Amino acid sequence: MSAGADADRSVTAQGHYAGSVSRFLAYAIDIAASSAVFGLALAAISYVAKVVTGHEVSWNRGNAVVAAVFVAWQFLYFGYSWAASGRTFGMAVLGIRVVMADGTPVEPRRGVLRALVFPASFLLFGLGFLGILVQRERRALHDLIAGTAVIYAWDARAARLRFLARERDHQD
Amino acid sequence: MTILNHVDPLDRLRLAGRRMTDPLETLAQHVAERVLDLIVHALDVNALVQQVDVNALVGRVDVNSLMRQVDVNALLERVDVSGLLDRADVNALLDRVDVGALLSRVDVNDLMRRVDMDTLVEQTDLGAVIAKSSGGAATEALDAARSQAVGLDQFIDRWAQRTLRRKRPAPAGPPALLNGQGEP
Repeated sequence: MSAGADADRSVTAQGHYAGSVSRFLAYAIDIAASSAVFGLALAAISYVAKVVTGHEVSWNRGNAVVAAVFVAWQFLYFGYSWAASGRTFGMAVLGIRVVMADGTPVEPRRGVLRALVFPASFLLFGLGFLGILVQRERRALHDLIAGTAVIYAWDARAARLRFLARERDHQD
Repeated sequence: MTILNHVDPLDRLRLAGRRMTDPLETLAQHVAERVLDLIVHALDVNALVQQVDVNALVGRVDVNSLMRQVDVNALLERVDVSGLLDRADVNALLDRVDVGALLSRVDVNDLMRRVDMDTLVEQTDLGAVIAKSSGGAATEALDAARSQAVGLDQFIDRWAQRTLRRKRPAPAGPPALLNGQGEP
């Protein structure tokens, strides 16, 4: 399946509720990106502490402080992204966006609320995420609580034109 | 058979009459021409035309009926369009056109909606321009990844709908976006 072959379908999907695969991939990218940034920050702090104090500083995975800071960082990462633009880095890569349930741009406080209630969807073996598959508007538990939805927002028409242009360029 | 069977006794009488009527006819013709000449010179044609109500005259003419009788194709075939265009000063004509007013009456958005961009990109050099300006492995990979994800989303969604045996189709998207009121 090529980008061009899917582009027609993608054009019509713009503005529609985003599906489970796009959302899961976006979340996976976000976890990887936010963890990488957190790891780099810890490494930088360790380096600075070693230079200043002369002692080796190591971070224990089981350290409650580190875990608490990591959770706070996750809230900050997702909450700020959703409140500011309705999309995280991973969502931008996959071309999806958080909007209000009626399709209008997400309100900042709703973005923050979505980040705060996001862990609720993990409860009971992730049953909260089942809504993406079975709920009519593909809304997970945290979407229903925050009054939000996730839609496709990428410019598939431009992607199709790029594909056609590349095809023609290869033929010439 | 007697000679009277071959000679009409009235012939001589007719001949004498013709000798008299021919000069009289010529004289009458000359007199009529002279009288007409005198009348025409005596008439003030301008004054006469001024007394004619042209509008009333034109009002009595059935232009539609007249036009139905005109063979426009035959008329156009007789027109030398090339010769006509040679005589036209197109630059002077264009100078008189108010392009701004003309463009303000054009619905550009409607015009653009009617453009088949796919065909345009495929058949013109615009494709090469787009390929050079927006090309790149990263863009290509991103387009492909997003398209694949949408394809998988729709596959799983169809499977879920079938499993749930929904009779009414689920809404495709939020109302504001489907009605074109919002911006994704």
